[in-house]
Amino acid sequence: MPMLKLRHIKKYFAGVKALEDVNLEVTSGEIHALLGENGAGKSTLMKVISGAHLADEGEIIFENKPLLKTSPSISKSLGISIIYQEFSLVEDLSVAENIYLGKGSSMKWLNWNHINKSAEVLLHSLGFQINVRQKVAKLSIAEQQIVEIAKALSSDVKLLILDEPSAVLGTAELAKLFVLLRSLRDRGVAIIYISHHLDELLELTDRITVLKDGRSVETVFTKDISKDDLVTLMIGRSISQMYPQKRYTALDGKQIQINNLQTVMSVEPISLILNKGEILGIGGLVGAGRTEILDSLFGNYNNRAEIIIDNKKMVLRHPKGMIEGGWGMVPEDRKRLGGILPMSIKENISLTNLGKISNRWGFINLRKEKEIVLQLIQKLQIKIGSMDDPLASLSGGNQQKVILAKWLNVAPQVLLVDEPTRGVDVGARAEIYTIIQELADQGVYILMVSSDMDELMGLSDRIVIVRKGQLIGELQKSDFSEEIILRMALGAN
Amino acid sequence: MKEKLLKNNTLIIFLLLLIGSSLVSDSFLSGNNLQNLLRQVAPIGLVSIGMFLVILTGGIDLSVGSILAFIGVAFAILSYEVYFAAAIAIVLLLGIGIGAISGYLVAYQRMAPFIATLALMTIVRGAGFLASKGAPISVGEHSAAIMYLGTGSIFGIPVSALLFFGLFIAVFVLLKYHVVGRHIIAIGSNEEAVRLSGISVERTKCLVYIISGFLTALAALMVVGRTGVGSPNIGIGMELDAIAAVVIGGTSLAGGRGSVFFTLLGVFILGMIGNIMNLLDVTAYLQQLIKGIIIILAVLFQKRSI
Ligand SMILES: Nc1ncnc2c1ncn2[C@@H]1O[C@H](COP(=O)(O)OP(=O)(O)OP(=O)(O)O)[C@@H](O)[C@H]1O
Ligand SMILES: [Mg+2]
Repeated sequence: MPMLKLRHIKKYFAGVKALEDVNLEVTSGEIHALLGENGAGKSTLMKVISGAHLADEGEIIFENKPLLKTSPSISKSLGISIIYQEFSLVEDLSVAENIYLGKGSSMKWLNWNHINKSAEVLLHSLGFQINVRQKVAKLSIAEQQIVEIAKALSSDVKLLILDEPSAVLGTAELAKLFVLLRSLRDRGVAIIYISHHLDELLELTDRITVLKDGRSVETVFTKDISKDDLVTLMIGRSISQMYPQKRYTALDGKQIQINNLQTVMSVEPISLILNKGEILGIGGLVGAGRTEILDSLFGNYNNRAEIIIDNKKMVLRHPKGMIEGGWGMVPEDRKRLGGILPMSIKENISLTNLGKISNRWGFINLRKEKEIVLQLIQKLQIKIGSMDDPLASLSGGNQQKVILAKWLNVAPQVLLVDEPTRGVDVGARAEIYTIIQELADQGVYILMVSSDMDELMGLSDRIVIVRKGQLIGELQKSDFSEEIILRMALGAN
Repeated sequence: MKEKLLKNNTLIIFLLLLIGSSLVSDSFLSGNNLQNLLRQVAPIGLVSIGMFLVILTGGIDLSVGSILAFIGVAFAILSYEVYFAAAIAIVLLLGIGIGAISGYLVAYQRMAPFIATLALMTIVRGAGFLASKGAPISVGEHSAAIMYLGTGSIFGIPVSALLFFGLFIAVFVLLKYHVVGRHIIAIGSNEEAVRLSGISVERTKCLVYIISGFLTALAALMVVGRTGVGSPNIGIGMELDAIAAVVIGGTSLAGGRGSVFFTLLGVFILGMIGNIMNLLDVTAYLQQLIKGIIIILAVLFQKRSI
């Protein structure tokens, strides 16, 4: 008897289809994957289960009882815990406060010692170490994700839903998460796991349900299916080549030299060389200080770095100055730093480029704006209803594409990208790789941080490895190996 | 836009009040009263538009009432000292200057807008009292043009109202078609993302306080033109009326969302409430009470629809 049964679920948002007809069964003691393109309806389906959205039609049966007018608090009391794709932590509260938010009787006095202690114990039992008194705003995204997981597990769980937890986790954290999920499964917990990383699904899950355009297409046993078949099921065609052909050879010899770069994490200043047309990857564990390097380079951290481009010196200034100097940065934290959620898709994309589409009095040429935005939307194949819809109404992967579009729009000479394909589906990922490679071939300097080992090795021409804020090694393409990179990142030799 | 109009209840409230007012009082729709209404609404309308822009960026400007009084006093004094045109120019620059101080404190010194403008509210109010020695000053004889701004009309429409409508359209255009307008809206939603997009958040924030100061100075000239005196006592609590108009217009106090058109309606809703109660001879104390209740109802009604 399945623990959870969904039948003919349908959900529209103001006339826009999110779910058309979804059937799904999840049994206790299984890890069930949900796979589908960006905008296929995975997150919406999970929100229907958790009661954050009400389905227009269809039945939810949980432990043989139909869930009628459900809500997040009802589903929670039934033992359904969900980790949303977009975090729901309160940034100004501490880790412990977040974990125990809304728990316990509101009439009782809070025992801080007790709360902090049990948060610590909980995190520790999950295999993680985070200072529980720290404010969530101060945590990295990976740490925030871990806090989300701890929060979901702080009460008794029968059904655990994880919406793309791995998008922000590094290899080490991911391994710990897998151990954790397997032990939960063995205790009879039912788990729904969403990810765009097929390898993860093949390694971790028992069954996979594929969602396409709001319909459940098929449910298969993981052990019976190959990666290629999964891709075909999901996007209707196979991908012959994930990563583009590499063409880079240091021909014209132009370079950017970065000397004396300080970051929040670095003890000693850092030096780096970027070659024109080369994709330089930055590898390392989550929290190793990779993002901080990009941040400093983009003028977010006061420092006396020296940047020499084609023998000309450039001063590191605030982001505005950097953008005027032809730099761009796709930040890691999409929600906080990347996009402006309530603003329209169009306005988000054109924000970096308003100067070029306005006359000298500052009036925007709305027609031109529309044209340019439309081109970018087509180029990146962003799935939208109307470009005037708020960014918040897009699925996670499509939001990521909008933010990429926003930076392609400035036609940067140097592009810093931090986890460029976070939450992007397989098909679209291949397209994004092609776009990044094209930029490089056109002579754009590219510096990329990625926690995805395949991506890092597949797309980079050279990789530098960061640990504790310092550069500790460099690998040429011919020497790339997952093992070596991991060993360097961990500091084992 | 059509959808927005239907979804937003501000328009419905406005129409209900309009119809209700004309039903309960015969004189409400008389040309004389409508002119009066427009004249009353114009200055607070200008101030509200400035407030609207400030609130869009997630800020607040509490100093507007004090600026209104101070500029009035300053103009009255200057009207004896310098040429008329110079007096106007000077006071408008004063308004801009005071706005710039608020803007500087908020944007570059990262002071909380509430605190910074609260301080300026007190300082500027004090300055008005000091300059006038606490008593109203009547304006010099030769300031006819300013009287025209306060009392004149073209084709039956008060000049002050025309100026107000003109500036309303200007701000509407600014928000819809201008780069700065885009920046203002964006900053209210996510300042950090805007900064990383290469936009000077500081400059834009500073600018909205400057605009607010400028519009308030213009409003002060309208008031002086209508009453003929610069009084250090006026405009007390005006910031609250302006905030109320903006909020009734459905603008989020958290910034990022709002429409200047609905702010205009908010201004008229408040104005009509005052006007109709005057026509019905409701006492001032009772008026305050009723006004407060109507603000609550309007915002509740508003909430339901979003
Ligand atoms: N609040 C909303 N308002 C309007 N449309 C929405 C809303 N939430 C989701 N949608 C739409 O519903 C569809 C499904 O979105 P959903 O977030 O469920 O996709 P997803 O499968 O989780 O995608 P991703 O892999 O990118 O996270 C999309 O077309 C999206 O634009
Ligand atoms: Mg999703």
